[in-house]
Amino acid sequence: MTHLWERLLEAKSRLKPVQSKYRVLFEDPATPDEPAKVLVPDPNWMAAALEGDILPPIDTYQRDRLVPDGEPKEHPYAEPIGAMTEEEAIEYLVMKDIDPAVWRDYKGNRTIMKIVPVEMIPSDRSFRNAWRIAQ
Amino acid sequence: MSTLNVSNISDGTTSVGTGYVVNGSAKAWVNLNQVGTISIFDSFNVSGITDSGTGLTDIGLSSSMSNTGFALSITRQDTSVNNDSTGFDGLNQKTVSNIRFVSIENATLSDSNNAHCIVQGDLA
Repeated sequence: MTHLWERLLEAKSRLKPVQSKYRVLFEDPATPDEPAKVLVPDPNWMAAALEGDILPPIDTYQRDRLVPDGEPKEHPYAEPIGAMTEEEAIEYLVMKDIDPAVWRDYKGNRTIMKIVPVEMIPSDRSFRNAWRIAQ
Repeated sequence: MSTLNVSNISDGTTSVGTGYVVNGSAKAWVNLNQVGTISIFDSFNVSGITDSGTGLTDIGLSSSMSNTGFALSITRQDTSVNNDSTGFDGLNQKTVSNIRFVSIENATLSDSNNAHCIVQGDLA
């Protein structure tokens, strides 16, 4: 099995970047004073996700979160998964790049995460450091 | 994809070990815009970026680094006569798969319309 980095290198040379029409808005319950954050999928990553046979299973990343620095990780050499839809890719990215405290463990009654079309993200940066997700 | 298995690369006069080439390559890079609706111009080995507030951008890596001892080169375009600087947030925000980019103008967090981050070191 080739290393994930090599598969990404080959994919970048072959695939056209894909700009996602979605963004992920989220608040981190561990840092309530910080503003709502906006996760943007990388266009080259999205192209790889839609193509398939490049990215590893998401559970390998989750297990690797528990692996100490310097120890071998599972995700670089894991068998790649097949093509995802754009919606599946966004869910995968949420589980990869957002802390489980936000998308899995939060038990409060605020909405702290939303997947929204890009048009719903304000381009006006006024009050940026006080943004909250509308309830 | 085919693979060349060689220990050295030569132009006929000088040669270099392939280990130097592989280990010396950037393992990830991104050129992004923090202004307005944050976006990526181009990148490699990045899964996504997170707008975490004015001047703060988290960068997620697709293929993680081996340990947090990797090196970063972080820059932003200077569009004014003000004092610009960049860096990374080292307080729990530099992990093997995430880097928090910090962009500053006149000692205040500030978005840049052309910011760069290059990662070098050992892959996991």
